[in-house]
Formats: sequence, structure tokens, C-alpha cells
Amino acid sequence: MLQPRLLTPLRALERVIGPSVRSTTQHLYQPQQSLLQRTLSAPSALTKTTPSFSRPLFPFSQVRHASHAAQGTANKHSRDPAGKRLGAKRTGGEYVVPGCIIFRQRGSKWFPGENCAMGRDHTIYATQPGYVRYYLDPLQHPDRRYIGIVFEKDGKLPHPRNAPTRRKLNMVAVPRAERAAAQSDLVASVDENGVQVADVDAAHAEQGPQLRPGYMYREANWQIGRVAEKAGVKPKVYKVRNRWLAWRMRVARTQRVAQMKSLKSKKAGKKNK
Amino acid sequence: MAHCERASKPLLQCLRNTYSKGVAGIPIQTRAFQSAAGLGEAQSEPTSQPFYKAPDPSLVSSPRLERRLLRQGTSPIGSRRRRAALQGSSNIPFEQLPYQCFQEARKVLLNDRAEKLEQIEKMRQRIARVEALSLEESGGEVPRKSRLRAMQLELERLKILADVNDPLVKRKFEDGHGDMSKPIYRYLAERKWREYRRKILVQRITQMKVVPDVLPHCEPTVDTKLYFGRRQIQPGEFVQAKLSSTAPRMDVQMFERGEKLVTIAVADPDVPNVETDNFDYKMHFLAVNVPISTTATKLDLSQLSADSQVVLPWLPPVAQLGSPYHRLSVFVMEQKDSQPLDFAAVKDRETDRDSMLLRTLQARYRLKAIGAHMFRTQWDDTTLEVMNQIGFDQANIELRRKKVEPLPYKRRNPASFR
Repeated sequence: MLQPRLLTPLRALERVIGPSVRSTTQHLYQPQQSLLQRTLSAPSALTKTTPSFSRPLFPFSQVRHASHAAQGTANKHSRDPAGKRLGAKRTGGEYVVPGCIIFRQRGSKWFPGENCAMGRDHTIYATQPGYVRYYLDPLQHPDRRYIGIVFEKDGKLPHPRNAPTRRKLNMVAVPRAERAAAQSDLVASVDENGVQVADVDAAHAEQGPQLRPGYMYREANWQIGRVAEKAGVKPKVYKVRNRWLAWRMRVARTQRVAQMKSLKSKKAGKKNK
Repeated sequence: MAHCERASKPLLQCLRNTYSKGVAGIPIQTRAFQSAAGLGEAQSEPTSQPFYKAPDPSLVSSPRLERRLLRQGTSPIGSRRRRAALQGSSNIPFEQLPYQCFQEARKVLLNDRAEKLEQIEKMRQRIARVEALSLEESGGEVPRKSRLRAMQLELERLKILADVNDPLVKRKFEDGHGDMSKPIYRYLAERKWREYRRKILVQRITQMKVVPDVLPHCEPTVDTKLYFGRRQIQPGEFVQAKLSSTAPRMDVQMFERGEKLVTIAVADPDVPNVETDNFDYKMHFLAVNVPISTTATKLDLSQLSADSQVVLPWLPPVAQLGSPYHRLSVFVMEQKDSQPLDFAAVKDRETDRDSMLLRTLQARYRLKAIGAHMFRTQWDDTTLEVMNQIGFDQANIELRRKKVEPLPYKRRNPASFR
């Protein structure tokens, strides 16, 4: 019913004309009506003689004063969540091994420095065995706080800016093992010790069905997966633009669903009888 | 192509409309930009053959006709977009284009160039005057030198400013035909290099810590490209062992005028040493007194002379199975004042690849790194072959992670738990 487009200019007009009119004609009980009312309901409003100064200028606009708080905050303090046990897990100078968590935090309050890394949730952990250092490195970043690992107990961080990085190999030399090129597979065998699940060598995998998990003599999963490839079966390429094919598939699906539903309802009907 | 044609359509329409009305007082010359041969052909065989039978290499724009031309042995001229645009244009030279504002702008540029040329001439005369002065008159050695240096720099700047707005210079540079002996092309090339490729290079050598590991500082000022075989290697790329078994080729582009003598070194800071539980350095290549200039940029590290330049010949980099990747860092280092080093002395002294540090060399021979590059090597299928080829003694050894002793399990009172 409201005509917002009409309302705005009229309201402006009212603001210009209204007060002066009211001040002159207030005591004369002149049937005064807003321009708006006149335009909105022209003939009927004119016939009514109602004193306008007692009512609001616009009967359409409603004001709701805040006499009630919308939603109470009465039990605010009981909704405090449990603490998340954040903070330092290792102090400066403590010995850590790779993977050892040093600091848990929300956001990156501390950054990983030498021989440290940051986890998915910004946890700082060690990547090398050594001693923890908490330090600032103004040459690298003016504001950041870093956590690093040094190898010596009395080592200092940060290192000089142009010094070669201090690293450790942490590796041992062993004779090189030849890697099996072919793919192996899981197999299960039964003997006096019970069922043994072990790797099938690629050589054995070729010899036919073996006893596999699930107590089945069958081919390996990867061999089953390649059956279609061997048989030369090629799936039809699905094209998004092919709406004719999409429509046929959709119709087939709805028919299938309808059929299944009808079968179900038949079964249910039998049961009820 | 359709999109080329579509892109050039508005401009062409505009041009055509203007010319159909005719330009007052200017005889319309067609195809002024084209070669005379093309012009002659177009005039000599009018409509005897349709275009698709004998496509013009400067006008052909459809891929099919381009292919046909290529099969005949002539390659199309310029870009496809340009050819498509030329098809419908009457191809009027700059001077006769009818846009008044454009012509005024050209005038401004031409005036500016003339002004700059005048200034260059003036500056040359001033330099000659200062050089002619005796030491007493010019107030001593140092002020004279600094003054001359400042004037030279100003002269170089003026030379660049004179040509920097020339569309032909821009086009030549973009086509890669810029003459690097001229300051304007060097300026453009350096600007382009600094915009992207240098940033990438600096990022790679700092993020992979080549710069504090091999050398304390490096501020690249020459553009260095590295090729193994025909393949260009981007900074930090992994290179197969077989590919890097022969020495690489390099393309070192200087942006200052003149020639320089440089030392080229390839160092590997990642040789695993199980005994010391640390990494060693190894020098894979070292050559001194290599001349580079602005125009002769190509260097083949395998073609350098063995009796006057190559101190340590190329050693193919290999990484053992399981070892962390090796960073092979290539440094081009300027020799002090471009003076040649004493090759025989260097060769006598620098014989041990394993104990040689580039930092030491830098201090010993007063070198300054002006160009850098790096590539990486790790174990791959071809490594074993290369190892056998070079007689690598630890070919049958693999590196595995050492088990770190876990932290002692702390119990408050173990006895009471039982």
C-alpha cells in the first residue's frame, strides 16, 4: 500500500510547508491534512474532518523505543570456553628432538627460526635435535619474534647475517639397496601361527590368484583395476555441453528411481498384509 | 585469426573511414611500411591469382595459409595480429597520418630529441674542455676525476633520453634486434631484466640460501642465462645428472659499456660428509680471465682454453641416493680493474676441489660477484650412469636418516607404578 517513491518528495514538501501552516492555523481547528494523505486517498480523506495537530504527521511511520533489551546477556560468564592449553611447551635452552612441539599458539605470535618449522595450526616444532632459543632478528624482520634451535648448548641466535648457515647432515651411509621396479600386493597366508598378512612380491603376483585378505583366492586389486584397460573398454567421454545425453541420463535415472520405489511399496504392501 | 581481426577492427574501421574521404593535400601512398619486393609483387600480379593460392607473407593471417607458406619455405612476417591489421589498412606512414593531435605529439617528441642531441653535443665539448685542462687548472686529481665521471654519467643519461621515445627503437628492441653496443638498447634491456628476471634470480639465491652459504653478498648486475644442451635452465631448477654431465653454455649480458675480464666458478655447498655429520664444499668448475662484453655474450664453458683460462675443468655434479638436493651455484665474478690474473700461479695453487671455498678465492684474488645463477641436482635414474662414468667412489652407498634418540621418558617414581 505504501508508495515509497512518492513518500520521499512529499515528506520533504511537508517539512517545508508543514510548520508554518501549523503555526498559523493551529488554533483555528482548520481541518488540516497532510499532503500525503490527500494524494493517497484523495476523496475520502477530504470528507473527514479530523484535527491533525494531535496525531503524528505520518501515521505510516512507526517508532519502537528500546524499552526491552533484545536478547539477554544474563548467563554470559558461564559460556566461557575451556582453555586450549596454549603457550610454551619447551623453555629456552631445553633439549629437543625433531618433531618436538615447542610452542602452541593461535595465529603466529612466534615465528619459526633456525631449524624450526610451523605446523598447520601455527604450532612451532623442532626439525633438528638441539637446544631451544627464543630470539629477535631485527635484520630479518623488525617486529617478529622467533623460536630457533642451536646445536651447541651455549650457541647464540641470531647468527650473523652473512655467515653460512649452520647445518647437520643427520644421516648414515648404508649400502644402496636396489628398489623393486614392479608393483607388489598384499597377500594373506594361513600356517600354524595363524593368518599372516604380508606383501606379495611382484614376481609371485603374476602367478595367478593368491590367498588375499578376506580369505579369497583372487587377483590383486591393481590387476582387477586394469581389466578394462586390457580389454580395451573405453568409457564414453562425458561432455558438459551435451545436454541431449544429459537429458537421457536424467530420464533413465528418474525411471529407475520410480521403479525401485514401486518395488519397495509392493514389498511394504505384502508385509502389511 | 578471428580474435586478431576483431581486436584490430575498430582501428581499421576508423582508418578506412578517414581515408575514404581523403586527406586534403596528401597523396595517399599505400604500403609504405612494407618491403619494396612485397609492393612490386602486389602490383605486378593483380588479381591473376586468388589470395589463398599465393598468400602474401606480410598479409597472411589464417593458420592454414600460414602453414602452407611455411611448407613452401617462406615464413610469415611479423605477428599474426599485425598481419591481420595490415590486411585492411592502407598503411600510411607516420608523417602522413591525419590525426592532428598525433602529429602535434610527434612534433613535441622530435623537438625534444633535437634538444637532447644539442645537449649531447654541448656536453661532449665540455668534457673535451675539462680533459684539455691541466691538473693545476682543474684543481687537483680527485676533483677532476669526479667531475669528469659526473659529466660522463650525464652524457650517458642524455644519450638514453634522446632515443627513449622513439617508436622504432622500441619496436626493434621488442623484436630482439636491438644493438647492445648502443646505450639505449642496453638501458631497455636492463630495465626489462630488472623488472622480472633479476627479481626471480635474487629470490631464488636468497631463499635457497646460496648467498650466505657460498658467498656473503651478491648484487647481480649482469644478466646470466644457463643452458645445458639446447635447454635453458631457470634459476634453481632441478637438472638431470645426465644432462649436466657436459659443461653448460652461458649467456652473460653486460649492461655497462666496455669489456670485462671475469672469473667463472661453479660451487656446490652440499656435499654430505658422514664423518663430521656436516656438509662440505666442492668446486665443480673454475675458469679465470674470461672476457665478456656487451655484444659477445655467449660463453661455452667446455670451449674455454685449457692452457690460459680453465683452472678446474667441469666435474659433472651427482647426488647420492637419499642425500638432500645439491645446490650448484654459478658465479660470474669481476676481476679487479679487469686485470688478468696470473693463470699459471692460479693453476698451481688451486688444485684441490674439495677444500676450495669461493669466499677464500674472492678474498685472495679480489673478485666481486656481478652475476649469479643456480641449479639443483638430486638422485635420479641417470645418476648411477654418470657416477660410473666419472668414477665416483661412493656410488653404491645410500644415505638414510639417522635415528634420533628420543627424549628420556620422565617418570616421577617408576618403582611405585609396579
